Amino acid sequence: MSDIKERSPNQLLLIGIIGGLLGIYLTYILPAISMRISGNSVIMQNVGELLNVIAPTFGALGGICAVLWGADAVRRVAKYGLGTGVPSIGQIAMGMGIIAAMFGLAIVKTIVLAGPIVALVTASIIGFIIGWFAQNVIKMKIPVMIRCMTEIAASGTIIIIGFSAAVAGNFEFANIVTLVFDNGVMLAVFWVGAVAMLHPFNACLGPDEKQKRLLYLAGSTGAITMAIVGIAATMTLGTSGVLTLVLGIVLWIIFYKKFWDEVYHDASSVVGTGLIPKTEA
Amino acid sequence: MAQATGIGTGTVELAAGSGLVGLITASYMYAYEPLADIPLVMAAGAMGSMVMLASTMFAGSLIYAYGVAVPFASAQVKKDPITGDRQDTYISKGTQGQGLPTICFVSGVVGAALGGAGGGLIYFVLMDLYKPLIALTSAFAVAGVFTMGVMYVNSVIPSYGVGGTIEGVHDPKFRRVVGKDVITSFFVSILCGLLAVLIAGGMSI
Repeated sequence: MSDIKERSPNQLLLIGIIGGLLGIYLTYILPAISMRISGNSVIMQNVGELLNVIAPTFGALGGICAVLWGADAVRRVAKYGLGTGVPSIGQIAMGMGIIAAMFGLAIVKTIVLAGPIVALVTASIIGFIIGWFAQNVIKMKIPVMIRCMTEIAASGTIIIIGFSAAVAGNFEFANIVTLVFDNGVMLAVFWVGAVAMLHPFNACLGPDEKQKRLLYLAGSTGAITMAIVGIAATMTLGTSGVLTLVLGIVLWIIFYKKFWDEVYHDASSVVGTGLIPKTEA
Repeated sequence: MAQATGIGTGTVELAAGSGLVGLITASYMYAYEPLADIPLVMAAGAMGSMVMLASTMFAGSLIYAYGVAVPFASAQVKKDPITGDRQDTYISKGTQGQGLPTICFVSGVVGAALGGAGGGLIYFVLMDLYKPLIALTSAFAVAGVFTMGVMYVNSVIPSYGVGGTIEGVHDPKFRRVVGKDVITSFFVSILCGLLAVLIAGGMSI
């Protein structure tokens, strides 16, 4: 297996954290820039409006980065066999992620910009503690447990904040409560986000499982989450939501095609067997 | 699936499914009964969870008994602790038993009651915490989602301790894992509770 080049965990960790946080922060920074420049001229005003429209979409793109990272972390830990099925780890990821996200966004009060980072740190701490308990009290004997649990919690919180920001427009707690919690969109973010993270390994696991194929599938599940979040955002934000929806569908098609090619590439051969004969030969 | 005792799905799915129904019944009690105090909300949660899990197990048992035609028996004990029926003669060779013997059903319902009551308790306390700080509908949503998060963490962690299947209180595994699972869930829940209180601090701008 050594001849297959894999992305290292650290590489994906950087993609997840930097890509995720960049996307999340752009939802906040772009409207701020647009506010600054829009007074100057008519052209600048148009540019400002455009920035306002595209800003929430970046939250969802950040979410996809975190999905890639989370799916790989799930892959590394679930390879050992958890005894409860892969879905459990996606659900605990979102459970930890949502607690940390709510805490991080709420606790910072008026210093809104610190929110996602506080949430990320909190999630890492929760994940570390749960991983420590799983390893030392429950004695699961999985060497990567603590590290992976930390990563899974952290990526879970970025997924929650990223996709919530895509629906609410930014990540201010009061705003997210009104636009994501009150109307129940949170449940969709929670569930679809969990599936986006757990499905890639759940579908690809087996002796010939390959990271490249899994990551393409993770991209496609992340993109379909983006499309669903886009539908919700059309309800709350209007035009930005349509942009998120369309871009999500386009990304989904791209990633799914890549995954499809990868499956054909890895299979020894793909043959049509025809229908089952009506009468026995 | 019928080659093992129990319902053929992950423990987490059952715990989460019954827990969420418990959350719905608990919140219904909280919202529509102004005099509801903690025991009543917890009882409503327990009732919802029990109904959900019992009906899941009942539907599964119907299929096992009349669709797959397996006799319900467990390989873990010689006699069912509740009905006293002999188990070992009904077990297919090489399996751990099949279907849902009475003790498994009862253990499941008791477990669901505990889970639902716990969910109701978290929800009640969080509502009292958040209600004065934000609008009522938001408080419902935030408390509900937070309870759901705690519930998922608490339903997954113990199932890691079990590591596979468990049949109920009669299973020798139960005695082996219950201690460390309770300790883990206790500390993790305390951590979550602490964060919940701090969230309330962040709301009061």
